[in-house]
Amino acid sequence: MAANPHIAARRRRNVLLYVASAVILVVWAFPILWAVLVSLKSETEVLAYPPRAIFEPTLRNYVDALVGGFSILKSFTTSFIISTATTVLTILFAVPAAYAFARLRLPGKRTIGFYTLVTQMIPPVGLVIPYFLILNRIGWLDTYQGMVTVFLTFSLPFAIWLMVSYMEDIPKEMEEAAFLDKANRFQALWHIILPQVRGGIAVTVIFVFLNAWNEFLFAVQLGGNKVRPVTVAMYNFVSVEQTLWAKLAAAALIAMLPMIVIGIAAQKQIVKGLTVGAVKGGGRR
Amino acid sequence: MASRTARLFDKEQNFAMLMVAPAIIVLVVTTTFPLAFLLWNSFHSINLAMPYMNGFVGFDNYAAMFHDGEFWHSLWLTAIYTVSTVALQLVIGLGLALLVMQIPAGQWLFRIVAILPIVLAPVVVGLFWRTLMLAPNFGVIDFAVKALGFGAINWLGSPTSALVSVIVIHTWQWTPFAFLVLLASLASLPPDVYEAARIDRANAVNRFIHITLPLIRPAIVIVVIMRSMIALSAFAAIFAATGGGPGTATEILNLYAYRTSFVKLDFGYGSALAVALLLITLVVSSILFVMRTARSR
Repeated sequence: MAANPHIAARRRRNVLLYVASAVILVVWAFPILWAVLVSLKSETEVLAYPPRAIFEPTLRNYVDALVGGFSILKSFTTSFIISTATTVLTILFAVPAAYAFARLRLPGKRTIGFYTLVTQMIPPVGLVIPYFLILNRIGWLDTYQGMVTVFLTFSLPFAIWLMVSYMEDIPKEMEEAAFLDKANRFQALWHIILPQVRGGIAVTVIFVFLNAWNEFLFAVQLGGNKVRPVTVAMYNFVSVEQTLWAKLAAAALIAMLPMIVIGIAAQKQIVKGLTVGAVKGGGRR
Repeated sequence: MASRTARLFDKEQNFAMLMVAPAIIVLVVTTTFPLAFLLWNSFHSINLAMPYMNGFVGFDNYAAMFHDGEFWHSLWLTAIYTVSTVALQLVIGLGLALLVMQIPAGQWLFRIVAILPIVLAPVVVGLFWRTLMLAPNFGVIDFAVKALGFGAINWLGSPTSALVSVIVIHTWQWTPFAFLVLLASLASLPPDVYEAARIDRANAVNRFIHITLPLIRPAIVIVVIMRSMIALSAFAAIFAATGGGPGTATEILNLYAYRTSFVKLDFGYGSALAVALLLITLVVSSILFVMRTARSR
């Protein structure tokens, strides 16, 4: 019996699909893979032209970027402090607000909801200009409190809308059962609602932290020598150290490592957050 | 009885307001107040380089915009940049999602690779492309193009290729977003609609146009809305890759407002430009939102 022509055709089609897919994967991953490769080269090797794919790898750039003359550890710490503070404050403000939007009778709910949505659409340049003048006047330029205040402008509206979509998914019966047990509203929120939306809070934390870590416009203009997040440090590196590109690659990869780890580890949650946001019409970046 | 329910109602409303108030107060203080200040400034001359000229000027800054060639140029670039990046993201993202849906195994690998550009800081993406990819006599793409015999191209140094480059950079970073959202949307479609179509002998193109496309239209519209908003206020990747240059070849309105304020130190005119960008963003988003509700009816 000869091979079934249908099976052969399907197999050919699958091979074609896989080849096409593989090409696209490589193209898309290439800039990142290339950065990894460059970061493992010595400064003389990196300038070899045409660029060589096979060479003796060195970790020298990573050592330099961590503890050497090009250390980014200080900026790294700064980014961590800003992102953590932004995330904590955002969650504290956003979760109760989202609960009220999603579950409670609230006078003027539509108006307030629309207002929150509009605040999310303000182009950052429209805020960085007045903030520069305001923070300059009150002496908050290049301070942590100034930076975190400004970061709330993009994290809070986004977090409220993301949390609303998770709050809406909880069955109403759960709260009603709590009220029958004579729980007050705050107890119901704390003991019944919050455990139900743990997943949603986790997704929100990831997004807010990520956006705060990657922010550049506010950071470059409202920060300074004292408060300089990694994004600004990377930008300055290229302006100052023109061609130390292997070191740049290593430093940038270290700066982005937390994001890459979060991205891969929480890939499912991020996609869910993107699509939840996509369905409900929220989201930034 | 009636009064008891009324009290309960009151209590719920009071509690709701208590829950919402802190967030709304923070939003008013951190977004609305600076925005009002921006608007106020846009009616003033605030030039840190010429402080003796400062004062109320009414609509002068807005009137100046109409005669400002750089403003119209940046507006035109904003339109090109937004339309082309959103269109590219949508077409490539949808094509990729349809392709990956056909693959029986290994979809997870695509999801992992797709997440990587999304989690990178746009400023780092801009720097990577400016140096590792496009730098003359160093970048991989520069090398590849030369090896293919096209000669040396100064990618970020000539106006047209710089504009193409920043569009490619944005598209590289954000197509995965469209891809992931559309893939999730495709994956959630009920398989039986395809079965029915297959029985009707509808071919692949017809199935796509008449079944798949209408079903994933909501996801497509949302991708267009979200990506347009982001493209309109794109900053870091362009700033890192070209700084708006060469000259003003890649200076979209966002970067022009920035340069006017922070390089020319003309905060009054810069504020007016930012207000213009804000208005454009609001108009574009309301048009898109209206289209969304009109279509879904």
